Amino acid sequence: MALRRVIYVLLAAALLMTFGVTYAQDDIVIDFYFPSATANDAEGIFERYAGLFEEENPGVVVNPIFTGSYTDTRNTILTELQGGGAGPDVAVMLSIDLYSFAEEGYIIPAQGFIDAMDNGADYVNDFFPALMANGVDEMGNVWAIPFQRSTPILYYNADLLTEAGYDSPPTNNAELVEIAQALTTDERDGLLVPVAGGFPIWMYQSFAIAYGQNIVSDDPTEVYFNTPEAVAAVEFVRSLGTDLGVGPAGGAAWGDTPVAFLAGQAAMIYHTTGNLTRILNDADFEVGVWYLPSGPAGDDGAGYGAPTGGGNLYIFDDGSKSAEELDAIWRWVMFLSSPEIQADWGATTGYIAANASAWETEPLASLAQEHPQYGIARDQLQHVGKEFSSYATITIQGIINGTLESILTGESEDAQAAMDAAQEQIDGILAEYR
Amino acid sequence: MRLSARQRSLVGLLQPYLLIAPTLVLVLIFNVAPAFRTVNDSLYKPARGLNAAGRPPEFVGLQNFRDIFDDTHYMGGRFLRTLRNTVIFAAATVGIGVPLGLMTALLLNRGQPLLGLWRFAVFYPSLLPLIGAASIWSFVFSDSIGLANALLRTVGHPGLNWLGDRNLVLFSVVIVNIWKQAGYFMIFFLAGLQNISRDIYEASSLDGAGPMQQFVYLTMPLLRRTLLFVVVIAFTFAFQTVEQLQALGEGGPADSANLLLYLVFQNISERRNWGYVNAMTIVLIGLVLVFTLSNFLLFERDEPT
Amino acid sequence: MKDANLLLRRFGAALKAALAIAFLIPLFFTVLVSVRPEAEPVTNGNIFFGSEVTLDNYQRALDIAPWSLHYLNSIVFVAGTLLVQLLTVTAAAYAFARMKFFGRNILLLIILLQLMIPSGVLLVQNFRTIQLLGLFDTRVALMIPYWGSAFGVLLLRQTFREVPLELEEAARIDGANLYQVIRHVYITNAIPAYLAFALVSVSSHWNEFLWPFIITRSEEIRPLTVGLNKLIKTTDQGAFYGQLMAGTLIVIMPLVILFLVFQRQFVESFARSGIR
Repeated sequence: MALRRVIYVLLAAALLMTFGVTYAQDDIVIDFYFPSATANDAEGIFERYAGLFEEENPGVVVNPIFTGSYTDTRNTILTELQGGGAGPDVAVMLSIDLYSFAEEGYIIPAQGFIDAMDNGADYVNDFFPALMANGVDEMGNVWAIPFQRSTPILYYNADLLTEAGYDSPPTNNAELVEIAQALTTDERDGLLVPVAGGFPIWMYQSFAIAYGQNIVSDDPTEVYFNTPEAVAAVEFVRSLGTDLGVGPAGGAAWGDTPVAFLAGQAAMIYHTTGNLTRILNDADFEVGVWYLPSGPAGDDGAGYGAPTGGGNLYIFDDGSKSAEELDAIWRWVMFLSSPEIQADWGATTGYIAANASAWETEPLASLAQEHPQYGIARDQLQHVGKEFSSYATITIQGIINGTLESILTGESEDAQAAMDAAQEQIDGILAEYR
Repeated sequence: MRLSARQRSLVGLLQPYLLIAPTLVLVLIFNVAPAFRTVNDSLYKPARGLNAAGRPPEFVGLQNFRDIFDDTHYMGGRFLRTLRNTVIFAAATVGIGVPLGLMTALLLNRGQPLLGLWRFAVFYPSLLPLIGAASIWSFVFSDSIGLANALLRTVGHPGLNWLGDRNLVLFSVVIVNIWKQAGYFMIFFLAGLQNISRDIYEASSLDGAGPMQQFVYLTMPLLRRTLLFVVVIAFTFAFQTVEQLQALGEGGPADSANLLLYLVFQNISERRNWGYVNAMTIVLIGLVLVFTLSNFLLFERDEPT
Repeated sequence: MKDANLLLRRFGAALKAALAIAFLIPLFFTVLVSVRPEAEPVTNGNIFFGSEVTLDNYQRALDIAPWSLHYLNSIVFVAGTLLVQLLTVTAAAYAFARMKFFGRNILLLIILLQLMIPSGVLLVQNFRTIQLLGLFDTRVALMIPYWGSAFGVLLLRQTFREVPLELEEAARIDGANLYQVIRHVYITNAIPAYLAFALVSVSSHWNEFLWPFIITRSEEIRPLTVGLNKLIKTTDQGAFYGQLMAGTLIVIMPLVILFLVFQRQFVESFARSGIR
């Protein structure tokens, strides 16, 4: 019977295809897990980098593996390691994942490799200090190397601003509100701050810093979520959608914000520098970029504020890897964080190249010359603060996100009370680590 | 080879077990054993604090359950809200989705032009990957650039904040689920309807029964088994489909549309929460079990064995 | 009375049209958005068409993942899963339908537990099992948890019970052994149920994401949903609806064609499959 023959053939094919790829026996294979957070062909880019690296490093094979979003990547790696798998050798994960992975004993500090270098200090000092902040523990040991980094900036539709008589972007919150109100129409929002959609903490941190108190410090057992600055910051964000009426109540959704901006439906937006290339490419108007406006912490510029964001390179080892393997792994990390690759990566994707010398390297150098917007994103780095990260990061971040959302959507009218309650829960958790 | 009578009876005795063994073993390994392990682990609190990875978990009895049912606990507040959402979500999906599936099946039963296309219209959502379907709806529901609001604006309505308004978002998520699954339910009902002989309808028509009477006194009783089957499937689906939340606001704002299984996913990656995650899983399995078994008892009640 | 029936029919027709339109709107716009320039959301300008009809989104979606490889992998995944399921499910269904043995009901109940336990929460433990079996990152690892199917057992058990016992007895008298009885009496009389089961199995595994994603690393064996995931995870740059819609359509096209061609057979299969 014909059907039966088809079935047998399919079955045989399925079994044959069970066997995977094999490598030459003596090659060192580096499994490199990477998340994707842009519409770029990250896989293609990493395959290209791996090829370049393998040319310079015979005997080492890099195996780039796509692991979904940052959250997927984190969960995939944890599932694999808790399930007895080998896990990656190097992975790009959120810079704030440091404490959870260090606590589990899955990763090792980069500090040891840096100390063994002839010019380790130069290597570290070439990175923008702000981008190192989340990769260093409270003792000053470097764990993770900046790679796919970003920070929120202000994008504005320069055509619309000029039309309304504003020659320059707002530099403080008062100007921000004034311009946003002037540019708000029935069809257009004056300002979109993407605090809706599950992750308000990042944008909120910008305001907290601009109000004078970041919610984190260098001590992973301290969180400052109910300070007067923290409360005033969230009340200001809430008022953008209520009293001031320059955007939707409850805030804009993260993913829709750049689309609305590109379509001319928003005059100004807060969004990540990871989006700069897309916006510059797709906009049919003049795109302006500026530091996030300063807040009460200093209208003269001292109160500029934004957190860093994005992913770092982490090295995985449970103590079983040989010196040779670790050496190859470190060379791959060095390669990815080299000025040449960072310049290429920054120019291709729009992420901020993490080291100063990358900005003097092609193709980034001429790109930054051609589009000064890239340079502004970089220069804001001198004002930015650490992204939220502590012990029990995921749990505490969940508490903060939930509290912020309930304040922003009006469920908790009394911001102070809601934040006091959250702070109490947070302190209860962190007490276990003190 | 000839077997003695004794050997033959032994083979006969073992035969049924050999036949079910592959399925049983696989289910035991990949479903039942891990579930029992979860029951066990829900009675332990993992080590917390510094260097937790090296320390063993601590037996705490039912403390994890007490914590998640405690409104002031950091996980309890989220869990209770999510539990309520999950029950509403399941009730709404089944309560609206199943009748809708039945109604479309009645409308698209037989004998009309373009039948295939009509059926496709209702069924195609079940062919979509959940995450793809959710992405389509995130486009529909987008506040500033979405389809629903664009359509509303053409009729002069300012638009709704489908995924941002805490009173609306659970409703939006329910809509997606009903749209995704009604066609699946329809297929089962169609099957049931096709099995009902036309003669019965003709006979009843001759007796003067109108369509409404036919539906109440003929169709419904004959569809009873299908209905219960679909309800069972619908409940197990409703409790277990949560991946769509990834594209529909992550269960927010402030968990106002979060569902149990998704809350588990959100917290599974931090060791300190493993006890809670296991306890929540047990509650979830318990809910599904209660709904399924009660339906199942009805489903199998008057079956000859 | 006649008027009332006519009214009811008219009402039915109107309802049918309204329902179909409501269900089709997302698909309709999925197609439209997939050929609309990415930078022009539907809120901007004409709601149906942008400034041009473009295939750019398809081009970008095609560039971002090796779709033909993913297609092949998905086909192998669903076919390999289904073929083994057919064997295990047939065997178990026959035993539960027609054999008397100690512990029958309790064993059936244990198998049915599979329907009630959300497998998403058991990832770590199932990963460990796969690791112990040495199957991590293989095609077998993708399929093996699905090789036992409670849904299939339930469905076929029901169908087999409706096959007249006399047929089996007659075959036995003719000297048929167990394999021949199952093959010629039961399978032959349950083809529609098998088709129905195949539709459910294929469509659900075609769209399966979490498990394939967690248990595979090699692009060479990863299925379509992993490719689709690349189009969805563009968080830092916001939504790319055009590209996403194009990708979703690429993924579901084979299933859509399959359904349109075979829908009548499928429905009738379900009808004769014993789920009623």
